[in-house]
Amino acid sequence: MASIGQIVQQTPGNEVLARARQRAALVPDCMVEARRIANTVIAGWHGRRKRGIGENFWQFRPYTDGESLSRIDWRRSARDDHMYVRDREWEAAHTVWLWADMSPSMMYKSTLCSVSKESRALVIMLALAEVLARSGERIGCPGVMEPISARNAAERLAVAIMHAPPTEGLPDTGMIRGASDIVLIGDFLDDADRIMERISPLARRGLRGHVVEIADPAEESFPYSGRTEFTDPETGEKLVSGRAETIREDYQQAYLARRTSLGQSLRQMGWTFAFHRTDHLASEALVALHGYLSGNPPQIAGGGRS
Amino acid sequence: MSAFAFAYPAILSALIVLPAIWWLLRLTPPRPKEEVFPPLAILATVLKRQETPAKSPWWLTLLRMLMATAIILAIADPVINPRTSTLSKAGPLALIVDNSWATPADWDRRTETARLLIEDAERADVPVSIVFTSEATHDAVPTSAAVAREKLAAARPRPLVPDRARAGEAMQQAFQGNRPGTLALLSDGIATGSDANMFKALSALSPADTRIITGNGAGAVALTAASNGADGMTVTGARLSTSGASNLQVNAVDQQGRVLATAPLSFAAGAGTATAEIKAPFEIRNDFARLTIEGQGNAGAVHLLDDGFKRRRVALLAGDTGNDMQPLLLPLYYIQRALQPYADLIEPRGADLSKTIPDILAANPSAIIMADIGRLPPESSRPLQDWIARGGVLIRFAGPRLAAAPADDPLVPVVLRRGERSFGGALSWSEPQKLSEFPKTGPFAGMPPATDVLVNRQVLAEPTPDLPDRTWASLSDGTPLVTTSEVKNGRIVLVHVTADTSWSNLPLSGTFVDMLRRLVQLSHAGGAQSADKAGEGGVSLAPYRLLTADGLLDANTSTAKPISIRNGETAIASNDHPPGLYGSEDGFAAVNLLPSGATLTPIDVSAAGFAVKQEAMAGAEAKSLRPALFIAALSLLLLDSLIVLFLHGAFSRTPRGARAVVTVLLALAALTYAVGPRPAEASDAKPGDEQLLERLDVTHLAYVITGEADVDKISEQGLEGLSQFLTFRTALEPGDPVGVDISKDELSLYPIIYWPISATAPMPSAAAIARIDAYMRNGGTVLFDTRDQFSAVDSGMPSPNGQRLQELLANIDIPPLEPVPQDHVLTRSFFLLSSFPGRYAGSPLWVESRQESQRQTGRMSSSGDGVTPIMITGNDFAGAWAIDPAGSPILPTVPPDETQREYAYRAGVNIMMYMLTGNYKSDQVHVPALLERLGQ
Repeated sequence: MASIGQIVQQTPGNEVLARARQRAALVPDCMVEARRIANTVIAGWHGRRKRGIGENFWQFRPYTDGESLSRIDWRRSARDDHMYVRDREWEAAHTVWLWADMSPSMMYKSTLCSVSKESRALVIMLALAEVLARSGERIGCPGVMEPISARNAAERLAVAIMHAPPTEGLPDTGMIRGASDIVLIGDFLDDADRIMERISPLARRGLRGHVVEIADPAEESFPYSGRTEFTDPETGEKLVSGRAETIREDYQQAYLARRTSLGQSLRQMGWTFAFHRTDHLASEALVALHGYLSGNPPQIAGGGRS
Repeated sequence: MSAFAFAYPAILSALIVLPAIWWLLRLTPPRPKEEVFPPLAILATVLKRQETPAKSPWWLTLLRMLMATAIILAIADPVINPRTSTLSKAGPLALIVDNSWATPADWDRRTETARLLIEDAERADVPVSIVFTSEATHDAVPTSAAVAREKLAAARPRPLVPDRARAGEAMQQAFQGNRPGTLALLSDGIATGSDANMFKALSALSPADTRIITGNGAGAVALTAASNGADGMTVTGARLSTSGASNLQVNAVDQQGRVLATAPLSFAAGAGTATAEIKAPFEIRNDFARLTIEGQGNAGAVHLLDDGFKRRRVALLAGDTGNDMQPLLLPLYYIQRALQPYADLIEPRGADLSKTIPDILAANPSAIIMADIGRLPPESSRPLQDWIARGGVLIRFAGPRLAAAPADDPLVPVVLRRGERSFGGALSWSEPQKLSEFPKTGPFAGMPPATDVLVNRQVLAEPTPDLPDRTWASLSDGTPLVTTSEVKNGRIVLVHVTADTSWSNLPLSGTFVDMLRRLVQLSHAGGAQSADKAGEGGVSLAPYRLLTADGLLDANTSTAKPISIRNGETAIASNDHPPGLYGSEDGFAAVNLLPSGATLTPIDVSAAGFAVKQEAMAGAEAKSLRPALFIAALSLLLLDSLIVLFLHGAFSRTPRGARAVVTVLLALAALTYAVGPRPAEASDAKPGDEQLLERLDVTHLAYVITGEADVDKISEQGLEGLSQFLTFRTALEPGDPVGVDISKDELSLYPIIYWPISATAPMPSAAAIARIDAYMRNGGTVLFDTRDQFSAVDSGMPSPNGQRLQELLANIDIPPLEPVPQDHVLTRSFFLLSSFPGRYAGSPLWVESRQESQRQTGRMSSSGDGVTPIMITGNDFAGAWAIDPAGSPILPTVPPDETQREYAYRAGVNIMMYMLTGNYKSDQVHVPALLERLGQ
């Protein structure tokens, strides 16, 4: 019997990009909800529904002493006896850091689905980049690309990833400054405590995070039986089970327990957590992320169909 | 015996693939599916013990290689002692077949070997000359294979020592100078005196190829002599193979075939002869009819005893009838007391010797004892002398009357001086005399010296030159105490003292009893022979019972001629006089196969003087190693499975688990013991009366516990099935089937015992078979089922089960048998049946033949109201009857036909009804006549 899981090649960037654009086309623009906006000078395209630097009219307000006279809107002030200042809506761009795990374990694909985890992660990441870029957010990728605000940010991100050296685990996040959002997409198969060890410093620095766990259905349902030798694609470690079907339930419990504890830890930090199975549509994860980012969390978290 | 070959040598080329198998086996034990699995860390927490797949250890590989080798070798079928079928085509095949006494055990294989040789000859298109060494006449002219085969089929083992020289000479004459091609001697392995002559005759033939084919005659054992001692019977046995010690058992059997006494016959390692001492009281020894070696069904292992060992009829005569009120003074009192345990005593009424002596002689006693009788009148003396001449023994005691009798009495062995001599009287210088030691010759040889006997008076013999030879006992001063003389076939013995205590205290001593016993022993048990037989050259005796080759006595005496045995000689069996009993029912002489002191030695092939090939017989000697190899491979497979289980930690999880396994196994074993049919030893504990009563309350069907679990299980289920059928269909409601251990359990409780024959089951002991015999005599019936209807059809040889049945029945007196005839009660005792199928349908049901003449002769075994004591079938009744607890049949019928099963049940019902109602149903045919007689 052919083996259920296999390690596939890294997906070519243009193909991922094309698929990501298809997905992104289905999703409306996303304005990242920024509770604490970084006071950057870089202008964004979408109003923040509060006064600030921008191009569009926001409100008239009475002039207060000390303000620059040049800000007085004379046309409005001429209508009555008061002096008015014309406020514009703040149109600052928010920085969203996107990161997808590209470790060997992500190259895994089972016969129960059509794409590898890595492929799905890239699609989600690029589609998100496309949506965010459309909304004028600044998109960066830690260790790969500095945040940019451009229409073709997704394309540039794809190129950057193609040329970036393969990384292991969470990237160096030293370049991330200020209040921004970070979206981590990976399989997070390590021990929950170890993952939290690496993520919690980010949270302490004020980053708002969104974690998407990509899982292969085979990892979740454990459809193996008989004498089976399991190999870890990262460490090369091997493990033989005499009768794999006997440990299925135990494994599933352990697997789900890890996911639950990870999700709980993240939510305690104020981060969001979603999981996604590769046999589901990438849009599901995208919509979920969209919701988290725009502050309207979906009713049902994660990519589960139910 | 070292020949070794493969039946299919081509298969051995498969050994080439062993390296490939080795390479395959070096890989891991069943190679696991390989799976990439990213969440291995999680899996590792679940899968506690991490298994590192390694190559299988070298010894496991070696084990599996051995297994593969064993299988390949097994398929190639190695055979030890393969039969060589190379037959010289230079001339006719000459076959000399021993059909001697030692051959019944392997007769089937012997004929099979000969048949194969004849077949080879037929294929090679050469004529066959076949002779049998124990036959009286030899026709050695080469004939076609078909005729030879007929001769072979007609030949039977004979209870004789082979005469190989005659066979060899017949062969030499028949060939008339032509050379035979292959000469094969199918010997029984025992040397005879005529071997050298045979080899001389055969070497004159100068055959192109000579073979001696020996069966497993190495186990031949024979009884060569038996002698009756003071307190036991000494039996001498001889054996052929002297390697190793062997312990056999000698049974003493009476005329009805009952075992009376047994004794171990132990051959020491290297010894060719051994003796056994059968200790039994004299009365019982009188009933010994023959001695047999347990488990040896041939004529050599039987030693026939004639009436030399039997109880004698002794007549007592006294000159003075005396006074019954003072028995201690009666002259015959001490003789009566001494002889009563050992002999039948005849005491005439009345004192008139002229009347009493004819009366006595009419009773034909073995011996007559006369106490103190003087000269007899001539009219009495003459018949007495005739009687002595015909073989009677007259024992006389001295006394005052004899001392006073004239000296020329013909009934006194020696010439006596007139008057008696007395010692130790008041006017005598001499002391009362003691007895000297008994002489080495004569009947008293070996008796302990009688130190306590004192003789006060005696009659004296005139000294004659032959007096010392005629003296059997004497006093310490040399005067004879017991003298004797032979008269033709008879003998006169004179004891020179009185039979009462007036002359000596001899009658009070134990020596007196021994002396009398030995004297009486001298006589013929059958009494004196009739006058016409008492010729000078001994008597001529017609054959009465002959020994068959199987060691049984047979009334068919057509092959034997009357034998004349000189007095005191032991006849030797020959072709004209095969071993057996000669004479009549009243008195017979035993002719035994082997002379006393014979030994068995292996045939000396080196004496042949020409090249001889030695071979083993066809059949079991050509031993295939295939089963052993397959078993080895299977054991290795089991071992391998255990090792793999062990390697994978099946036994090392927890010691508690192992303990649980052991516990479960023990519990299973206990359960098996509790559920399985148990030998009734547990239930037969004393007192077993409750159980007997329980068994008596309800009729039970019974089966013999063969010792093979599967056979016993089927028996039990079969009888259970029949019981249910009976309950359902008939008024008979039997209880649960009962397994009986024929060596222990009470058999008389059961009307019928079902006995499935299994060749692989342990052979029941002779005592157990004797119990079955007694059960059959007392009206019980045994249904033997060989269950081999199909295996019996193919080959001419009886099936193993059939052979086992023959062995079982060899020692049972079974009546003549016939298949159930059309009008037998069995066919209508409940259902109307025309056949009696079981699982198989082909075998007839054999029952006792209903010849009216047989009934009238009072056969021992047909005491049960005409109900046959034995039934034999090969149809496997129990297999057809067997049902499981749910009531559905267990085994399929052959052919699969439920109607046949129904008929099998009906056959069972008919058999049970026949058992319980006897020939009641056969009386039904008279119902109209009975009704008519009753006036209705």
